Amino acid sequence: MILISKKNEKKNGYTVLELLFYISFFIVLSLVVISTMITMARAFQETAIQTELIQGGNIMERMSREIRAASDINSITASDLVLQTKDQNGANKTLEFLLSGSDVQLLENNVLTGNLNTPNIIVTALGFTQITTVRGKAIRILLTVKHKNNISGNTQNFYNTIVLRGSY
Amino acid sequence: MKKNSKNNGFMAVEILIAVSIIAVSILAAMAVAQKAVSVSRQAFHATQAGFLLEEGAENTRIMRDDSWDSVTALNSSEQIDIFTRTIVASSVNRDNTSKDISSAGINDPGTKLITVTVSWPEGGMTISKTLQFYIMDIFL
Repeated sequence: MILISKKNEKKNGYTVLELLFYISFFIVLSLVVISTMITMARAFQETAIQTELIQGGNIMERMSREIRAASDINSITASDLVLQTKDQNGANKTLEFLLSGSDVQLLENNVLTGNLNTPNIIVTALGFTQITTVRGKAIRILLTVKHKNNISGNTQNFYNTIVLRGSY
Repeated sequence: MKKNSKNNGFMAVEILIAVSIIAVSILAAMAVAQKAVSVSRQAFHATQAGFLLEEGAENTRIMRDDSWDSVTALNSSEQIDIFTRTIVASSVNRDNTSKDISSAGINDPGTKLITVTVSWPEGGMTISKTLQFYIMDIFL
């Protein structure tokens, strides 16, 4: 009897120490796992935001191409540009880039064709500046975009300057 | 009892190994996630830098349209957000007989080689993109 009880006592003591060790191990491990999951979720979100923000480049690309093909500037203000250009049949056409709220609108012959940005992209600033040279005209563009899910509210700038090839 | 304690010891080692395997794989996954973020950020900066390169080329064209002398003297450097843009004009030689651009031959004052470089810091390193083109004084 005495022998058995002694045996039991010894065994119990060992298990409690072991348990303590395991529990602390488990706590540390689960903390690491949780922090990793949070980090990975953030990383995924940030990657998704960056991918959509690159769209700002697509807006810039579209404006650059249209400005390059244009023959003249009809009117220009900081956030509204009207270009004189030609369609594929050679007929005269006006193209307008307008910052309306947080969207960049494209108007052809004063008819709205749509927004250049997707709903997730907020255009916080659009600036056109005219540069007149001895031989022709050029336009400097500043485009500032941010993502609507971006908690930190970081904005990204795109800069470009395009010479109107039709103005020579 | 001896048997039990032996068995327990074996379990502890087993768990230690399992935990270290899990920890290593978690660290690896975390490293991958962080790499993904830095790569996508780098891609974004590369897009912005592409437009700055284009702008540098167009600015040179504007200078050419205004006065060829300002293109000849071009050697500028400016800071735009995180980007540094330098525009440098260097002289161009032409072969005397074929009039083609070549390293030998005589200097052509009406042609310049423009090098636009945009560089920016990225995770402790400096990344740069370069655009080279020839520009000619077509309004002689």
